[in-house]
Amino acid sequence: MLSLPAPAAAHHSFAMYDPATIIRLDGTVKDFQWTNPHVLLWVMGITKPGEAPLLWTIELPTSPGNLSRMGWTKHALSPGDRVVVELNPLRDGQHGGSFRKLTMQDTGQVWVVKLHDVPKAEAAK
Amino acid sequence: MRRLLVAWLMLAACAAPAAAAELPDWSGTWTPFIGDQMRRIKTDPVPWTPAAAAQIAAMAAEEKAGNPRGLFIDCLPEGMPSWMLISHNALEFLFSPGRVTLLGESDGNRLRRIYTDGRAHSTDPDPSFHGESIGHWEDGTLVVDTVGVLPQAYIAVSEAVGLPNNGDLHVIERLHLAGPDTLHDDLQIIAPHVLTKPWTTTRIYYRQRARKYEIVEGECLQGSFTPSTDKYGNAIFVPVPQVNGNPKPQ
Repeated sequence: MLSLPAPAAAHHSFAMYDPATIIRLDGTVKDFQWTNPHVLLWVMGITKPGEAPLLWTIELPTSPGNLSRMGWTKHALSPGDRVVVELNPLRDGQHGGSFRKLTMQDTGQVWVVKLHDVPKAEAAK
Repeated sequence: MRRLLVAWLMLAACAAPAAAAELPDWSGTWTPFIGDQMRRIKTDPVPWTPAAAAQIAAMAAEEKAGNPRGLFIDCLPEGMPSWMLISHNALEFLFSPGRVTLLGESDGNRLRRIYTDGRAHSTDPDPSFHGESIGHWEDGTLVVDTVGVLPQAYIAVSEAVGLPNNGDLHVIERLHLAGPDTLHDDLQIIAPHVLTKPWTTTRIYYRQRARKYEIVEGECLQGSFTPSTDKYGNAIFVPVPQVNGNPKPQ
């Protein structure tokens, strides 16, 4: 099956985020909200050395149900976790973005959201 | 379990005009083929009226410019026919005597009841987001006729582009297996106030049997709230400040 990159959003278009720009946010998880329609992540961090930390609101592009099927859980991230998040920023310059990738600074563990169609008829298990 | 199913199917056979033993197996969870949804917009173009097409073009330009309308940020149901057209979330079918029920994920209101007990449409159905659906079986194909949809329900081509049907919507669907684990919904959408002719298109769903695909509860509005505690120590939800349906950056 041809698997095209496709947003798995349940709720709204993600066009308010700029897909051509990737910002690297270095900081600490303040909150991780595991709710519909889109899971939310708040990180206090900096995007440039020497910058004063700011609270960023980061939207994951899909729901707890769909994220669970990609291996995420509600315990994937906790307040206090030191992280580096790659995000597509809001076009209007506010401190918000659409999630692309996260690396846990202490363990090196990487979290991504595979924006693809789910596999065709995955075997029962 | 199988014995129970057989007994249940026999019961269904007594109650429903369709011979229940001939009903296909649509068990499991069905996930939409999202890439194909997007391709179909080009291969099966929507026959918008000129006035509708102008509005659609403006909405598409706004989305491209980063100002999407967000048709569903109010968390009202996607309704018919948008649920079938653009959903990115899983659905399941429940067969019971005289009725097929569709349930969906990530929207607590996502529910369609399709009556297969031989009844006719009501003379004056109360309008609803999903309308009044009457179905019958033709050799494993569920043919569904839907009327009584609210004029405000969108005919959406994406979550940011689409128009209300504006009344007199009529949707005819033929749902059938196109392979052991592939389901097609062949739709004919008749919307005389926004389309110049019926729009004919297909949506594809894949069967998933792995437990991780089972439908989970999802309430659209829940993300607009965050857990908190009131002055008595009760666990409560409080609103998250939002802008255009998104959490407001601090």
